[in-house]
Amino acid sequence: MAASPTRRVALAAVVALPLAAASGCGGINVLAAPPRPAPDVALLRSAIAAEQLLIARYLNVLRDAGNPGGATSAARREDAADLTAALEPMLAEHRAHLAQLRSRLVVPADASPSPSERAPTAPAAPADPGAAAAYLRAAEQAAAAAMLDRLPHAPASLAQLLASISASEATHVPVLDAVILDTGRAAR
Amino acid sequence: MTSPASLATTAALQAALAAEHAAVYGYGVVGANLTGSRQAAAMTDWVAHQVARDTLEAMLRSRGAEPVAAAVAYRLPVTVRTPGQAASLAVFLEDRVATAYLGLVALSDISIRQFGALQVRAAALRAAAWRGSTVAFPGLTASALAAPRHRS
Repeated sequence: MAASPTRRVALAAVVALPLAAASGCGGINVLAAPPRPAPDVALLRSAIAAEQLLIARYLNVLRDAGNPGGATSAARREDAADLTAALEPMLAEHRAHLAQLRSRLVVPADASPSPSERAPTAPAAPADPGAAAAYLRAAEQAAAAAMLDRLPHAPASLAQLLASISASEATHVPVLDAVILDTGRAAR
Repeated sequence: MTSPASLATTAALQAALAAEHAAVYGYGVVGANLTGSRQAAAMTDWVAHQVARDTLEAMLRSRGAEPVAAAVAYRLPVTVRTPGQAASLAVFLEDRVATAYLGLVALSDISIRQFGALQVRAAALRAAAWRGSTVAFPGLTASALAAPRHRS
């Protein structure tokens, strides 16, 4: 169930006050080695799990868009191709989010992966391209809001990363809105 | 009583205000090089930066600090003569503003942290509209992203 309390996990120290260009490797966020997983490790794990779930949702939609089935119309196939083209860059951004979050979680080699480190399975995506875009839109919105909810509990540099990721996810919403609008137009 | 945390808060608010002053100036140049709906979009964003500037000034005054003044003029990072260059300048301004607000997100005051995060989001949305695409880490610099991994 929960991570072993004896596991030694530490957050990597990060110098991240972008404005103070020459803030250097300072003593503010120096690495600490807590005897048991600190609250921010749990926070990081939940953020990692959230990104994994989003990626799983994108992969579900892309898999279905890549196999629209033989009996579908030309307009439907075109929508699926447009959807794929729109989703790929956003999926790449989520993978970058995940990599960056993981880079801040330092776990010794002998530790077994916690449940949250295994990829979660996302619920099946709708087959219709417009509905699939709406499904991702809702997921992005929820993920962006949940990322902001983690801010009060995060150390400074992690808070900046979470806020930036949340903002990135918020920018995916208008892109998906445009996809939804386009698929609706093509269907007429 | 000025604690280190209080000084850090004031400094971060002043940095965000300086970025907003630059954005207010810069959007004047952006709008002057656009027409039609693109100019209207620039005007909307210009007003958003004026509102944010006023909010930051009020926050600083309520803390007993004198808000930094705008410069008379700013050296722009690019020459702006075409609509494409105007959009590039808007992206640059928004990226700067997002970075400045991430400075607020690093503070311990939770309400200022949330305010900063919402402003990062607003800047990211405007930047994405001008850029025509999204980015993975709005406001974060490459050095901030590369920082982990140096455990000795």
